[in-house]
Amino acid sequence: MTALPPNLAVESPPDELEEEPRSSVARFLAPLTGLVLVFGGWEAYVRLAGVSPLTLPPPSRILGHLADDPGFYLRNGSITLVEAMVGFVLALVVALTIATAMAHSRFVERATMPLIVLIQSTPVAVLAPVFLLWFGFSPTPKILVAALFAFVPFVANALTGLRSVDADTLELMRSVDASRREILWHLRLPHALPGLFAAARICVSLALVGAVIGELYGGSTQGLGYQARIAQSRSLVDQLWGSVLSLALMGIVLTLLVMAVERRALRWHSSQRTI
Amino acid sequence: MGAAIVPWHARRVRTTDEPPAVLAEDVSKTFLDHGRRTTALAGLDLAIEAGEFVSIIGPSGCGKSTLLRLIGGLIDADRGALTVAGQAPADGRRAKRFGWVPQSPALLPWRSVRDNLTLLPGLNRGQGRGPVADDEIDALLDSVGLAPFADSLPAELSGGMQQRVSLVRAFALRPPILLMDEPFAALDEITRADMRFLLLDLWRDTRATVVFVTHSIAEAVLLSDRVVVLTGRPGQVADELTIELERPREHGLEDADAFHHHAARLRASLNKAADADGGPASDVDGTVQP
Repeated sequence: MTALPPNLAVESPPDELEEEPRSSVARFLAPLTGLVLVFGGWEAYVRLAGVSPLTLPPPSRILGHLADDPGFYLRNGSITLVEAMVGFVLALVVALTIATAMAHSRFVERATMPLIVLIQSTPVAVLAPVFLLWFGFSPTPKILVAALFAFVPFVANALTGLRSVDADTLELMRSVDASRREILWHLRLPHALPGLFAAARICVSLALVGAVIGELYGGSTQGLGYQARIAQSRSLVDQLWGSVLSLALMGIVLTLLVMAVERRALRWHSSQRTI
Repeated sequence: MGAAIVPWHARRVRTTDEPPAVLAEDVSKTFLDHGRRTTALAGLDLAIEAGEFVSIIGPSGCGKSTLLRLIGGLIDADRGALTVAGQAPADGRRAKRFGWVPQSPALLPWRSVRDNLTLLPGLNRGQGRGPVADDEIDALLDSVGLAPFADSLPAELSGGMQQRVSLVRAFALRPPILLMDEPFAALDEITRADMRFLLLDLWRDTRATVVFVTHSIAEAVLLSDRVVVLTGRPGQVADELTIELERPREHGLEDADAFHHHAARLRASLNKAADADGGPASDVDGTVQP
């Protein structure tokens, strides 16, 4: 090694960011306390006040019902899950494509923005009957509603991320005549990732909402939304609440999955460091 | 060797027959910003020989950075002729002949230090200056004391370390021309002083031409063969100062009389350039001690 100026040679890096000091037990204690209080209170209220199970079954009874026929919920849940996930991916792909075009052309951006605002301001749930009219008894209407629900957060965050790249870095890459494609791939897309993951965390739940709304409107014979509707019309309270709980669990698991992928993909990003 | 007594710049200027590394004749550039026209440069003439280290200094907003971007082919001149080693700047950019050092480190935060150094060689690959061998990257990192941090992410480095990565990233391209836009401006004074000598060390082994934009008189004197003083906006060359300090330049040079003499001359020249325009030179760091 060549002789370095003293200050440069002995400099040490900034302190490693510390791991969260609390133990895993402590980390899960607070949220667990909240859950136990709410569900315990629910259970106690229903039992002590003698509420009819037709009005509100206690959590223990809903769980028991789920345990009795898990196949039913797995079957219908997987239908809803597939609709929601295809809608989610469709929204992501379309949003990324449109946002890329918008980030590269002010004209495309100006031409597209009113349409995006229109989608954003429309309660898209109302389009479910329209899609049902067009596509009838098929997963397509549910997928489209799911995609519409997830579209706006994706496109907004993708556009911001693709566009707001560091000016010095952009100039640096242009100084070697990097192509637009290279700049997109090496700079804009990675830079948009944190925003895309933030959107994805919201959009998995939104896509699930969209798929359920699609099922509630009809045109299906399976899926948790459909089963909840049937349960309501036939007063199958256990099945209604079983569907609700299954959807809630599905939403939680999907969000945790996104966060797990995010944690791996964005190790470089400040959002993934414990402060 | 006796030749070492001859000033560095003089030796180079005399021995070269090639076209000037940079030749600007009557170059003008006007920007249109929200309907307002701003003339950054008006009729600028400048010649820089191959292998020369030239600093550009001048009042704030005098078009220093504009000049650097014109040379690098990032923007085009409105009028006049500008060539880089006989080529149009845009062609030089396409041929990856420029090593660009921006003001901020501009490292990609998701890439390790090593992967940041291989970024530019990996772009625009049709141009010969392709990927750099691993041991070459290792040698470069070693030369700036960053070998242990090859696999670290930029966020794990201090500001000074990040700027060192930015410096060697430009050298990794082995470019004939280095274009530096106040690369040390954001650093603390001690780190900045060391960075200057580090840059000289890195540069000494290359035959690269350097165009170095700076606000600091001390920096310009310490680094350069020649300092070009620009007038206030619209920028023109107000004065050129040859720095007759022997190379290699070492720590402690800042305390030498010859250094102070040059710094004083440069400051006087800068004040004159600013006065001629009626604008303030307040932007220029007038301290001589680094």
